[in-house]
Amino acid sequence: MNSSSDNPPATARSQVFRARGLTKVYGSGDAEVRALAGVDLDLRAGELVVLLGPSGSGKTTLLNMLGGLDVPTDGELAYRDLDLTHATDPQLTRYRRDSVGFIFQFYNLIPSLTARENVGLITEIARDPMAPEAALEMVGLSPRLDHFPAQLSGGEQQRVAIARAIAKRPEVLLCDEPTGALDVRTGIVVLEAIERVNRELGTLTVIITHNAVMADMADRVIHFSDGRVHHIHENASRARPDSLKW
Amino acid sequence: MLPHLDRKLWRDLGHMKGQAVAVALVMACGLTMLIMARSLIYSLESTRDEYYRAHRFAEVFAYLKRAPLSLVERVRAIPGISAAQPGISVQVTLDIPGLDEPASGNVRSLPDFGEPELNRLFLRRGQWLQPGKRREVLVSEAFADANKLQPGHQIALLLNGRRQDFRVAGIVLSPEFIFESRPGAALPDNRTYGVFWMPYEELAYAFDLYGAFNSLTLKLEPGASERAVIAALDPLLEPFGGRGAFGRADHPSHIRVLDEIGVLRTLSIAFPIVFLSVAAFMTNAVLSRLLNLQREQIAILKAFGFGNRQIVLHYLKFAFVMVAGGTVLGSIGGYFQGQQLVKMYHLFFRFPELAFRLDRSAFVVALFVSAFAAVVGVFGAVRRAAKLPPADAMRPEPPANYRPALLERTGISHLLSHSFRIAVRNLERRPVQAFFTVAGLALATGIMIVPNCFRDSVTHVLGFQWDVVQRQDITVGLIEPGNRRAQHAFAHLPGVLAVEPLRSAFARISFQHRHRQIGIQGQPRAAQHSRVVAKGNTQIALPSDGIVVSSKLAEVLGAKIGDELHVEFLEGKRLVRDVTLLGLAEDLAGISAYMELDGLNRLMGEGDVVTGASFTIDAAHKADFLRALKTVPRIGWVAIKESLRENFAKTTAASINLIQMIYLVFATVVAFGVVYNNARISLAERSRELATLRVIGFSQGEVGAVLVTELVLLALCAVPLGLLLGTGFATAIVTQVNTETVRLPLVFTTHNFAFAVMVVTIASTLSGLLVLRRLNQLNLVGALRAPE
Repeated sequence: MNSSSDNPPATARSQVFRARGLTKVYGSGDAEVRALAGVDLDLRAGELVVLLGPSGSGKTTLLNMLGGLDVPTDGELAYRDLDLTHATDPQLTRYRRDSVGFIFQFYNLIPSLTARENVGLITEIARDPMAPEAALEMVGLSPRLDHFPAQLSGGEQQRVAIARAIAKRPEVLLCDEPTGALDVRTGIVVLEAIERVNRELGTLTVIITHNAVMADMADRVIHFSDGRVHHIHENASRARPDSLKW
Repeated sequence: MLPHLDRKLWRDLGHMKGQAVAVALVMACGLTMLIMARSLIYSLESTRDEYYRAHRFAEVFAYLKRAPLSLVERVRAIPGISAAQPGISVQVTLDIPGLDEPASGNVRSLPDFGEPELNRLFLRRGQWLQPGKRREVLVSEAFADANKLQPGHQIALLLNGRRQDFRVAGIVLSPEFIFESRPGAALPDNRTYGVFWMPYEELAYAFDLYGAFNSLTLKLEPGASERAVIAALDPLLEPFGGRGAFGRADHPSHIRVLDEIGVLRTLSIAFPIVFLSVAAFMTNAVLSRLLNLQREQIAILKAFGFGNRQIVLHYLKFAFVMVAGGTVLGSIGGYFQGQQLVKMYHLFFRFPELAFRLDRSAFVVALFVSAFAAVVGVFGAVRRAAKLPPADAMRPEPPANYRPALLERTGISHLLSHSFRIAVRNLERRPVQAFFTVAGLALATGIMIVPNCFRDSVTHVLGFQWDVVQRQDITVGLIEPGNRRAQHAFAHLPGVLAVEPLRSAFARISFQHRHRQIGIQGQPRAAQHSRVVAKGNTQIALPSDGIVVSSKLAEVLGAKIGDELHVEFLEGKRLVRDVTLLGLAEDLAGISAYMELDGLNRLMGEGDVVTGASFTIDAAHKADFLRALKTVPRIGWVAIKESLRENFAKTTAASINLIQMIYLVFATVVAFGVVYNNARISLAERSRELATLRVIGFSQGEVGAVLVTELVLLALCAVPLGLLLGTGFATAIVTQVNTETVRLPLVFTTHNFAFAVMVVTIASTLSGLLVLRRLNQLNLVGALRAPE
């Protein structure tokens, strides 16, 4: 079954991010590293995008900028009407708080809070959150609400992280190697959760991975090398996560 | 070349310098105290002993009315005496140019030729007395300094009622007057009381004592029993008005130096222990964190063949660097603080030279003690790390286990915000760390209470003594007991609003086998000046028969109300009587016995006798009164309440301020260091967690609030605990001051508590803010990467 069939075609959706000539240089002189070397990119509402590329190709740098964690050295980056290139720290904080959900490779849960509380932490400060229980229900963790991170498996911890990211109903979900620390079976459960959120909530989802297999579940696959977009590939149909094998 | 492992040591230390400095500073506080106190003990003891030895300070002292010099031969015959020095000691009034009030003093004789055998003087300025030259005196330095007297100046003494001018030949010091104050006075007033020395002949003629003596000092042979000598001496002197001999242990100046050394001893043990315990814990916290961070490094070192011993040593070196830093800082601190305190001692103690002498053994003790504290603090953590099998150590530590905090399990969890829960659970997961942070802050709060309690207690004693008990402005004593006519003369002095007679009779009061020699105060039944006050500040009306004594004296004698006290008068007809103890006076300074004036005279078999009077003076005519008083003959001494007060403010108050300042610095350092350390460790251990919070949309302030909540919770536990702790410290220290000289009541004021809380709050807040500034530097991007 093609799960993207009820979504409008990618090109018809509203534009969320617009990047032009995006450049990031770390260091200077001999130590200068050009992490991004002029990236032009548009990302649209509701699409699921996979960023593929070897280490050092610039995909994480791009994700950091999309998430408001880093600012470009040159070029333009806008989230809707917000100019991320020149935003202040409080503006970036508000942007992350209201619009962005992050999922990290190592989950980054607060160890002293239970699953429910890790999600509740965000719903306390978000503008229009869902109930923590509802978010955890979406990732299939209703029976583990009151467990602490140390009492959860890696896959469960990552699903709490997804619930935490989506509970604020973000417009953007940014995932950095979400299955990188997980075995295949658990990884698929996590990908299913991400895919479900994308499908049911219409959240623009950007996934960074080394794993080329995951490209099949995307609407678009953006290949990175040497700090540039090498090419972009559009899938005619998205594969279901449980059909992926690696 | 530095081994590579040591290079790693220095670089790692560079990264944690803030915390290392905090640990070293707290350690330094303890060592400062240790080195200062031990060095001051050393300085005082060695200086005193050298002074005593070089100037032949006597070992037994006796005062009598008058005995022929021939008696001295019989004294020398007592076994165990190596030297005996007879002399004359009299009380006089003086007239100092520029000083409105009459001053008084003690004039002592010096042999007409040669140096005295005992209690030799030290000449500070000017010249010794020239044989055969008259009208010259030597003046004690404390008095000379207070009155800016120099050799060559003139002063007028009233010798036996006759005013005579004397030239100051020299300024001197005596081992008998290291602490120079009016007999019985708790505080020195060097402006109005001094000691003078004159040739024997001149003084003896003035007081009709030629061929006689009224004071005697003895030196004992090594190993001789002081008790046996006194037992043999007293019967010999008794027929000549002997007042009972005493040893150094009862010598007023000697006691004061000894008391001070006692206080220093307490300081040199108690406080360093507390400070070093906190420092030991801080070392443990810092190193435990370092070891957690370096688990992998330890594993790699072990994989490459470094032995456990090398690894343990490597990490112990971190502690030793902090110990070395703390010892250096503490030594510098102890040295400079000791020098300041020595200057303070110059206000009270007069030595030919009292220089600060560093007790070098204190360094060794300091180094040893702090190294021991540090090793105890870190050994467990280091050993744990060394024992870790390399393969285990390569894996990052498993995520920390948490559970709902006790507070939440009480059922109020729904009321708590998430950041509050994070804070509470973190504290509960690390109870030892929380405990020591609380302990450190409590200590900081507690040590602030001590000097302020001391100050408040002293203020209370002075207020009690000068406002409740002694309501007169001026007290005057006669050279010899006189009759009531003297009182009429006093009443006609200008500016006198009220005058009350007083009678002091020197006596030995005993009960069962215990005794004390004191002056029994005879005064009007319900005196308005020197009031005898019972518990609750109610005045005791003196009964015409019977005696009222300080409750401290009753305690010393083991007597209670209704007991018969045995009173041997040591003057007049020297009658021996039994008197019923009828009341206890709650006085705070000295030990006293009070009787109704007429009752006392009756008991002594004397008529209408007074030895002095107390006055209330019209303030507008005070100067006239004092000028007139200078012309009244036969006045032995004058005590002016206001000068005592002023003098107190200058000396004791100044020294309390200095000590308060030192404690303030210590409290600040400890509060600052403890909070800094705690916050830095929290920040470092949880930088990933905090960065994650920032990434998912928390503002810097909100993330800071998580850390601050923890600190505030710790402070909220620490402050009341600190107030309790401080109350305990102060109680332990202040109640030790329960001597026959002075008894300090425990006085705790809200001002004291509030000030302590304020100091600790400010220090902690500043320290917390310093750490919070580092939240700027949180690596948000790093939070997305793998844990270190």
